[in-house]
Amino acid sequence: MRTPVLVAIREYLENIRTKGFWIGVMLFPVLILIAVQAPRFLEKATPVRALVLVDQSGLFEEAIEQVLARDFTKRRSIAFARYFEKHLAPGSTYARKRDRHKERSLEEVPASALNPARAEELMDTLEDFSPQMLDLLGTEAAWRQQLAAADRFLAPHRPAFVNPEPRFRRVPLPSGLDPGAPAAELVQGLRPYLLGEHKLAGSGKDRELFAAVIIPPRVREPKLLAVLGGGAGPAAGGIEYWSTNLADSDLSSLIERAVNEEYRRLEYEKQGLDAATVRKVQKAHLPFQTMSPRKAAGKEEVSAADVIRQYAPIAFVYLLFIGIFTISQMLLNNTIEEKSNRIIEVLLSSVTAGELMMGKLLGIAAIGLTMIGAWIAALFAVLALHRGPEAEFVDQALGVLVTSNLLPLFAVYFLLGYLFYAGIFLAIGSICNTLKEAQNFMGPMLMLMMVPLVTMFFIPKDPNGTLATVLSWIPFYTPFVMMNRAAADPPLFDQVGTIVLMVLSTALVLWLAGKVFRTGILRTGQPPRLLEVVRWLKGPA
Amino acid sequence: MTTAALVLDGVTKNYGSFRAVDELSLEVPTGSIYGFLGPNGSGKTTTLRIVLEILKPTRGTVAVLGRPSALEVRHRIGYLPEEKGLYKKMKAWAIIAYFASLKGLDRRTARARAYELLDRYGLEAFREARTEALSKGMQQKVQVLASIAHDPELVILDEPFSGLDPVNQEVMEEVIRDLARRHRTVLFSTHVMQHAERICDRILLISKGRKIFDGTVPEARRRIPRRVRIETADDIAPLTARPDVSSAVLLPPDDGAEAAAQDGPGAHRWELEVAEDADTQAILEACFQNRIRLKQFDHSEPSLHDVFVKLVGADAREAGRR
Repeated sequence: MRTPVLVAIREYLENIRTKGFWIGVMLFPVLILIAVQAPRFLEKATPVRALVLVDQSGLFEEAIEQVLARDFTKRRSIAFARYFEKHLAPGSTYARKRDRHKERSLEEVPASALNPARAEELMDTLEDFSPQMLDLLGTEAAWRQQLAAADRFLAPHRPAFVNPEPRFRRVPLPSGLDPGAPAAELVQGLRPYLLGEHKLAGSGKDRELFAAVIIPPRVREPKLLAVLGGGAGPAAGGIEYWSTNLADSDLSSLIERAVNEEYRRLEYEKQGLDAATVRKVQKAHLPFQTMSPRKAAGKEEVSAADVIRQYAPIAFVYLLFIGIFTISQMLLNNTIEEKSNRIIEVLLSSVTAGELMMGKLLGIAAIGLTMIGAWIAALFAVLALHRGPEAEFVDQALGVLVTSNLLPLFAVYFLLGYLFYAGIFLAIGSICNTLKEAQNFMGPMLMLMMVPLVTMFFIPKDPNGTLATVLSWIPFYTPFVMMNRAAADPPLFDQVGTIVLMVLSTALVLWLAGKVFRTGILRTGQPPRLLEVVRWLKGPA
Repeated sequence: MTTAALVLDGVTKNYGSFRAVDELSLEVPTGSIYGFLGPNGSGKTTTLRIVLEILKPTRGTVAVLGRPSALEVRHRIGYLPEEKGLYKKMKAWAIIAYFASLKGLDRRTARARAYELLDRYGLEAFREARTEALSKGMQQKVQVLASIAHDPELVILDEPFSGLDPVNQEVMEEVIRDLARRHRTVLFSTHVMQHAERICDRILLISKGRKIFDGTVPEARRRIPRRVRIETADDIAPLTARPDVSSAVLLPPDDGAEAAAQDGPGAHRWELEVAEDADTQAILEACFQNRIRLKQFDHSEPSLHDVFVKLVGADAREAGRR
């Protein structure tokens, strides 16, 4: 046992110094950091979108202006909630309240315009159920009042609150364009602005025209509506939204909703219905609760944590995949290095091929465990750094990780999957002289390996269905698919049976790989044909 | 002589229908330097691999340090393969220590040995250098040191001189002599005869997998007739008439036409084959008596090179064409 350990130590020390290892280690924490930080960063980094609105019908301009104003009010309120939280005077009533909230879960914290964790949610509710409140909050007087009211809770020496930039700003039609011209002509004139060839008049960095909305004069005519209602063909004569950025649909959906709400209101009026009553009826709402029979009686309500628990395995499958293939690749590279450098011959005068193989497997497994350990540590570190009422999701994710069996299962499937694939990669490495030759074998392997990545997102939707069950019993996929299903309590037969099968097939793969390894490792010249490899497998070791 | 460090008996290795080693038997006495000579493709490396049990022989037996299996005594053997490679990213001392520890040394001793050897053979400045940063010659030295760091009783070196400059070739010879002085057995293969001639106690010459010669260097020399080389413009008939000169062969000009022109017209180089017991001084006297003006008279013993060319030249050329 001494020799394999020596080989393993060398493999470990050598690989831990490689760039590949450190990239592998850093990749995951960086990804989590990005995932946590990106939304906030994007929010700050997105420039103010300039919008040109030409309403030739004269019906919707006011409604659109209104939603743009509400959007800004929401944004300002959320920003103020953050500001309030950050600059709360220690010891004030609010600060004490906040500290109490930190101990509770998200559902228990009361929604408040001054609580950053729930301000956004509150604003959305306001917009849906009483937009007038938002309009009121948006007035200058109400705003000053709020600032004044907050003042006594805040630390005396704090920077003044700075209004956030609005997401969207309406700009006038560029000079020289006639607002009464036909849509086609207007678009012709706006096109260079939309394409970024012309800048808008004025100074500052927001001089790109982001979008133009053109509402033709006779947009409400029934004949036209019939055509539009059919949904076929281009919306000639309908409302046109022009923009080069098709990915960011926030503005277009905002306007579409505003226009249609206003349009419906006009239609109700035309039918002689009271718009306020209709709105009230429209907002009527029966509570709808998702429950799970798996949970204890009285606690069947599905919480955010349950959803996290359901989807967390996807992240683990992904980690499993990256982990296993990063280190199997290392194993392949090392084996080929030893072979092409002919170090193998000196090694084989000191160790047997079996000892060498075992040492390599152990050393690289240690590398893999180090990497995974670093990932999990990084995960906890990042999550812990982002705790607090604002990152309630993070708290719950932490809770799920600590309380569920996901981590131990991950370790088991990682080891089994690694040994299984490592055996195959070792055998490939032993019969190839260069990485290029190995790539010929790797192609089909990669195809085979892509399957769990493709099914990763489908399996949680039907975790104990036929596809999932069948894939679980194929050793190539067992670790990934069973990890995928881990949250859904698969039948005990599947859980135990697949692990037994996996252990057996891993042993078989390693045994066969050992035979190929012993013969292949000293071979030079062309890689052998498949038939020849099969002959080695049949022959004595 | 004590018991042999290595005994091969009737070892044969077939690769399909190709016979790489054919009924080879040999005995390497303990404490000797044993040269394993032969042209390219003659089966030297295959034989060494069989000795080390990296390959299994088709037939025949091997006894290494008195044991039937080299793996049993692998901690007492050092091996330098023909194709030399090192882990590129490892430091010089670490690679020596690693191989020594694989051979049973504990890590601390292995490290101390690595430093000691690097210092002794002029590589103290490169202890911490990664092997990829070393020149080819230095890499090879490191490799040799790695193969002897555990102080093995039997050292097997496959083509240890190839790729080394003349200075380092001498260092390599010194390494081998050092080992022999400490009663280690060294078996090395080469196709460069000068090294074998200088340092070997015994040599074995193989060609096409078959043993051609096995014995000491003087014994090898005696395998070809004694010769005298002379260079003269005069008629050598009086010499060929002597009973102790059996034949005379005209050799091609030595240094090209230019040298021949300086020597004056008609200077020829001859090789006279002489009887085993011939007195070369008498032949020299005969030259004077017969007014044969000599530009050169060479009665040195045949070199191992001559022996090699004579014994395996035809095979080697044939192998080269294959």
